Amino acid sequence: MHRSFFLQNPSILWFLTILAGFTVGVTLVSEVTGVGLISTSFVKTLGKTLCLCLVAIAMDVVWGYCGILSLGHFAFFGIGGYAIGMWLMYARTEGIVLGSLAGQPIPPTPAEISDAIGNQIFGVVGSSEFPMIWAFADNLFLQLLMVVLVPGLLALVFGWLAFRSRVTGVYLSILTQAMTLALALYLFQNDSGLRGNNGLSGLQNIPGYEDFSQATISIVFFITSAIALAAGYVFFAWIVSGKMGSVIKGIRDNEARVRFLGYHVEGYKLFVFTTTAIIAGIAGALYYPQAGIINPGEIAPIASIYLAVWVAIGGRGRLYGAVIGAAFVSLVSSWFTGGGAPNINLGFYVIQWTDWWLVLLGFSFVAVTLFFPKGIGGLFDLLVRKQP
Amino acid sequence: MSMLLEVSGVSVSFDGFRAINNLSINFAPAELRAIIGPNGAGKTTFMDIVTGKTKPDEGTVIWGDKNISLLGLSESQIAREGIGRKFQKPTVFEAQTVRQNLAMALKTPRGPFAVLMHKKTKPNGARIEAVAEQIGLTNEITRVAGELSHGQKQWLEIGMLLAQEPRLMLVDEPAAGMTPEEREKTTDILKEAAKTRAVVVVEHDMEFVRRLNCKVTVLHEGSVLAEGSLDHVTSDQTVIDVYLGRAHA
Repeated sequence: MHRSFFLQNPSILWFLTILAGFTVGVTLVSEVTGVGLISTSFVKTLGKTLCLCLVAIAMDVVWGYCGILSLGHFAFFGIGGYAIGMWLMYARTEGIVLGSLAGQPIPPTPAEISDAIGNQIFGVVGSSEFPMIWAFADNLFLQLLMVVLVPGLLALVFGWLAFRSRVTGVYLSILTQAMTLALALYLFQNDSGLRGNNGLSGLQNIPGYEDFSQATISIVFFITSAIALAAGYVFFAWIVSGKMGSVIKGIRDNEARVRFLGYHVEGYKLFVFTTTAIIAGIAGALYYPQAGIINPGEIAPIASIYLAVWVAIGGRGRLYGAVIGAAFVSLVSSWFTGGGAPNINLGFYVIQWTDWWLVLLGFSFVAVTLFFPKGIGGLFDLLVRKQP
Repeated sequence: MSMLLEVSGVSVSFDGFRAINNLSINFAPAELRAIIGPNGAGKTTFMDIVTGKTKPDEGTVIWGDKNISLLGLSESQIAREGIGRKFQKPTVFEAQTVRQNLAMALKTPRGPFAVLMHKKTKPNGARIEAVAEQIGLTNEITRVAGELSHGQKQWLEIGMLLAQEPRLMLVDEPAAGMTPEEREKTTDILKEAAKTRAVVVVEHDMEFVRRLNCKVTVLHEGSVLAEGSLDHVTSDQTVIDVYLGRAHA
């Protein structure tokens, strides 16, 4: 990756500049600096939005560039969240348990401590045993490794099975959706080992940093999310430019032709599917500490469908389109569903946006697909007459 | 002379219909060959079998000096072995430029990692430009392939074949939809290519086949009906009956 890479792709520099300006701007007017123009909760919303933008560019690469309409990438996002959530919950509970046991005359044995932590975490699902998948939950490094490994391996195995059987198009979408649904249903079970529908909570409290205010923590996560988005953007821009980009766009447009050119199409698809799943996992690991809670509902297929809708509205096949789509739709969505939008009184009926937002979103999706197939990002083409 | 490709005793059926019936056909390392035959004679199925798209029910397909069987290989492996294919309908990557289309076809390592780390080099650039020159698209090299005329797309696809540097080129109706001048140029490109490799042209157009001035194989109902010069096969009574007679009827 050298200078000419950026020179050939000026949109990357534009994107990075705007993102940097936005990050610095938000930080300066947040509660951390004492200005307080932006509340801590809104900083969290913005930080979460940046993570959604990151998973959206991953979705854009796998769908917009490689033509694989995956309805599983939000599941990978959720798995990343669960992986980091396990450590956050374990370490925090451990701190609390140690604190409460500290006053006892006889020092507690490791088994007693483990039992107490287990009781705290799994009491809600009527258990105190640590399931096997929590084996590494006490180790931040290993659990961070899980953020990458679990989505990566799941995508690798699933993708290998699906692609080698030449499952494509809508059938592949259905298959990925089935995977997502199966995962969500499994996690809903109390004996899944991840607290069933309670999910993992209290994730906004970062163990070891109890003395820091949420204002500070939120800004740290916000900036980290921005850096992750920037890094992810440059990484994917590098992948989709150059010859790799040619080949994966070729696969999207005519898979058989690429095969007859001598490229092992399945290998390329697997590469794209797995890489984007890993980035989705990382995005999820940054998102859920800001959200504070993760439960199986987050992984439900509808989330992955939203992801596809964001990318479609923002503009497939261009990375900034995915960012625009994810940021715009998710922020507008929280405005409408959060009661920000004024209800419309028709006299005989009151349109309450909390109920009607989905209808509006659905119509927007249909409108974009019919009238602006290139999405919001396509408007940039009208402004800048871009050469290919 | 040892053969580049030996197809022997190959049969394939689709839902009981025998598309290829005990077909045997051989190609030398450097020759130009035209395959003609009425619709449904099995021309495209023959190409599908050689390129790995269709697996035959019986028979053998032996390739190259090492006598490899192509039947156990995937499409991409066969392509890497040195068999290139041009489709009937021009299939170029319309969203990408002529240069990108040719660069993708250029004979370079095909693995994902090699492609990811691929750097543009002067020799490769020169090879792309040489191919563009050969197919007369030098001035169009930065244009998006979707903007090209039908004939230019056909040439681009032939150019992609040349860039692949295959030892066997299977070309399905290269002259379809071309003007007479474009046909002439296409003939020249194919004749030139056949000096160093085997070029197999499937064509309906007799005038075009005559211009190629090469050995002709007539397929009928999935097997070889006649083989030889165009004059030889067109004077063959069975050929006249099944094909030419019908065409002139």
